[in-house]
Amino acid sequence: MDRDALRSLDEYRFEAGPPENALFDEFLDGEVDRAGFLRRATVIGVSATAIGAALRTMGMGAPAYGATVAGKAGGRLRLAIIPGPSGDLEPIEFMDHGRLATGSICGEFLTRSRQNLTLGPELAVSWKSNADATQWAFNIRRGVKFANGQALTAADVVATYKALTDPNGKSQALSAFKGILGPGGIRAVSDYTVVFYLQAPTAGFPYLTSNTTYQAIILPANYQTGTFAKTPQTTGAFNLTSYTPGVGARFDRNPSWWGGKAPLDGVDVTYYSDNAAVDAALLGNQIDLISQSLYSSDRPLFNNKSVQIFATKGSPHREIAMLVQTVAAAKPLLDYRNREAVAYAFDRDKAVKQLLGGFGDVGNDSPFAPAFPSSDLTVPQRHQDLALAKKLLAQAGNPRGFGVTITFAKFQEIPALAQLLANDCKKVGINIKLNMIDYNSYYGGTYSGGATGRGTTPWLNSPMDITDWGHRSVPNVFLTSAVHSGGVWNEADYANKKVDAAIASYQAALTLKEQRKYARVIELQMLHDTPYIFPYFFNWTQAGSKRVKGFKADAIGTQYLGKTSLA
Amino acid sequence: MYRFLLKRVGLALITLFLLSVIVFAAAQLLPGNLGRNILGPFASAHDVAVYNHEHGVDRPLVSQYWTWISHFVRGDLGESLEYNVTVGSLLGPALVNSLKLAALAFVLVVPISILGGVAAALRRGRFADRAITIVGLSLTSIPEFVTAIVMIVIFGIALQWLPVGATAPPGSNFLVQIKYLLLPSFALVAVLFGYIARITRAGVIEALDADYTRTAYLKGLGARRVIVKHVLRNALLPTIAVVATQTGYLIGGLLVIEKLFNYNGIGQRIYVAAQFKDFTLLESGVMIVGVVYLVATLVADILYSVLNPRIRVGGVE
Repeated sequence: MDRDALRSLDEYRFEAGPPENALFDEFLDGEVDRAGFLRRATVIGVSATAIGAALRTMGMGAPAYGATVAGKAGGRLRLAIIPGPSGDLEPIEFMDHGRLATGSICGEFLTRSRQNLTLGPELAVSWKSNADATQWAFNIRRGVKFANGQALTAADVVATYKALTDPNGKSQALSAFKGILGPGGIRAVSDYTVVFYLQAPTAGFPYLTSNTTYQAIILPANYQTGTFAKTPQTTGAFNLTSYTPGVGARFDRNPSWWGGKAPLDGVDVTYYSDNAAVDAALLGNQIDLISQSLYSSDRPLFNNKSVQIFATKGSPHREIAMLVQTVAAAKPLLDYRNREAVAYAFDRDKAVKQLLGGFGDVGNDSPFAPAFPSSDLTVPQRHQDLALAKKLLAQAGNPRGFGVTITFAKFQEIPALAQLLANDCKKVGINIKLNMIDYNSYYGGTYSGGATGRGTTPWLNSPMDITDWGHRSVPNVFLTSAVHSGGVWNEADYANKKVDAAIASYQAALTLKEQRKYARVIELQMLHDTPYIFPYFFNWTQAGSKRVKGFKADAIGTQYLGKTSLA
Repeated sequence: MYRFLLKRVGLALITLFLLSVIVFAAAQLLPGNLGRNILGPFASAHDVAVYNHEHGVDRPLVSQYWTWISHFVRGDLGESLEYNVTVGSLLGPALVNSLKLAALAFVLVVPISILGGVAAALRRGRFADRAITIVGLSLTSIPEFVTAIVMIVIFGIALQWLPVGATAPPGSNFLVQIKYLLLPSFALVAVLFGYIARITRAGVIEALDADYTRTAYLKGLGARRVIVKHVLRNALLPTIAVVATQTGYLIGGLLVIEKLFNYNGIGQRIYVAAQFKDFTLLESGVMIVGVVYLVATLVADILYSVLNPRIRVGGVE
């Protein structure tokens, strides 16, 4: 044991609060491994010095953050974003890949969720909570200037977060902050300190201030709606200097970036709508990097010697929902045994191989992705078991199976997933009829009112459907939106008091040990009830030419290019 | 001649009116809710209703139609519901791009196809005739996206002779722009060559067999003069009609080509507008394509009448 390191750590612990000390205890007792310790420590705002001291105390090397392979300085990166923005370029309204990918080239957040799900400082240099994680104080970086020359202060952060949490505004981040933070809970206590007063204890709150909440780009307090694409006013490595809807955008290096001089002179963005076109553009050397490349639709780029694939594990996934209680539900699916039979009939390992080319992890029918440190991976993994599926059907009084229609959007690999599911289910007598509709129709219609109170949208009212979910660094939003009985995206209309209570406890839990305890409760109960099938969590994959150096993919799809260069 | 022109212009206006009604009605049938598309899944039903009201999409259809068409004829295309910028600023550059691609494709396909058709007719029944006919028909029968992908793979990726995207970098000179447009233009030439060449061939064969051609030869005129002065003038009449009908397709119907070559043409704009229920952009885009199509048809009619005096004097219409 390194005695100097231990002394240094003890000094830090003397000043530290309960969350930090609980984490150090867990780590020193061996209950949390190195990776889990790093993730958690960065979330609760433990300083790099204390992290290093703890690692040295345990005889481990210090972490190496942000090691990048450098190319030459200069040049312009040609980035293809597919699909392009589907609406106005207004950060708080971002809700699609095109917009978030574009905005993230110039915009910055309080914190940044890294590839290994650790949290790093960005416009906040440090953050700390009170004992029960209901108040979080963020210290804002000094010396940062917006592209319009204004200095960044706490007032800008307050204005940005008030807009993000305003229930009467156009914020698309409301689902992330619902029940956690409201406009009244954001206060500047000095020019460079902001305190967030939460509505419920939330240990993972710092993640909500990261690029995971891609709408949370910090803008000046006097920002005027509708000017994002017209006047450069962000703090990032590049300034947005021109934007043509549906065509492309131009970014030039921000000469006064607090992070130093970005290697690239600029970034030229071209929007694409066709996978064949974007693949050909990369292979034909017309672009350098694609914002998202999928094994299912961009196969020529995978296993191609002239192409490199940037991949990162995360929690983006598909969710096969089965309505469990509303009048729109299919009768057989009201019995959990029939739902379990569907889950056991499905070969998720084959799906990961065939649809994702291995770039993903099998799911275990809860939102706890293997990438989350809080997931309890000792819970038995569900695999295809046709005999058990038949047995469950017989127990439920459907020995010859049943019929049900699955509704899904024509989007990425989802139609192929539906087909695989239908093929597998047929083996046990479950006849799944496919109903493919376009993406806008799937999410169209009303979301409230009507006989069920769930409006008319196919997404919330189909007996069985498949929905696409993006990445989050912690499972909180998945739990509160899709699993909790009051969740706004609870497609299955699932309600289980035990699970609701476990979600609340999970959110408030300050230590990984506690989080895993409640995660286990949720995981086991969801396996039993099976309102959803989580077939897989896919990696975020981006294809690029071999000239691209120092780029790291981010599982939510933001494009961080401040350290990227060209060979 | 004036009567003929007036009649054609009148018919064009009636066609445009019917087109405006059809496109407006069709837009209403698109699935989804405008307010929901724009505001997203978390917006309340009330906010969605307010948005729809502010943008007038909850008003009676006749009222919505009148507002749109009365502004359209005055040149006010309105504001895109999806992008919050003027429709003119989106459709203007897209139309220019489409016209550029159509012009290059036109300049390439018309002489090549006519030469091919004439050559086939003059060598009727021989190897050259069969080769031109079979190759032309084969190319026409292959869908344009297949031809385009094959060309992209060969000339864009394997040989890297030509860019695989059709959009030249901003500020590129004329020749660079042409270079970027060559691959999509060749894909269009492949689609249209067989059709135009076949029509030309048939016209030339008919003209070659005509009495006036025989008379011209008997008068002692040279073959070249007979073909240029007598045969082509008569043989090209159906070709002109066919070329004119393809103009609308070349400007507004190239969605697949525009997507494959990632070209910001009017076809892509209309397609995306339909996807997002951007009514103002969609309706104005279709109307502009309609106007271009009718103008092209009108020009073809005039050209046809110049070459065929029987139309001018009212014998044939």
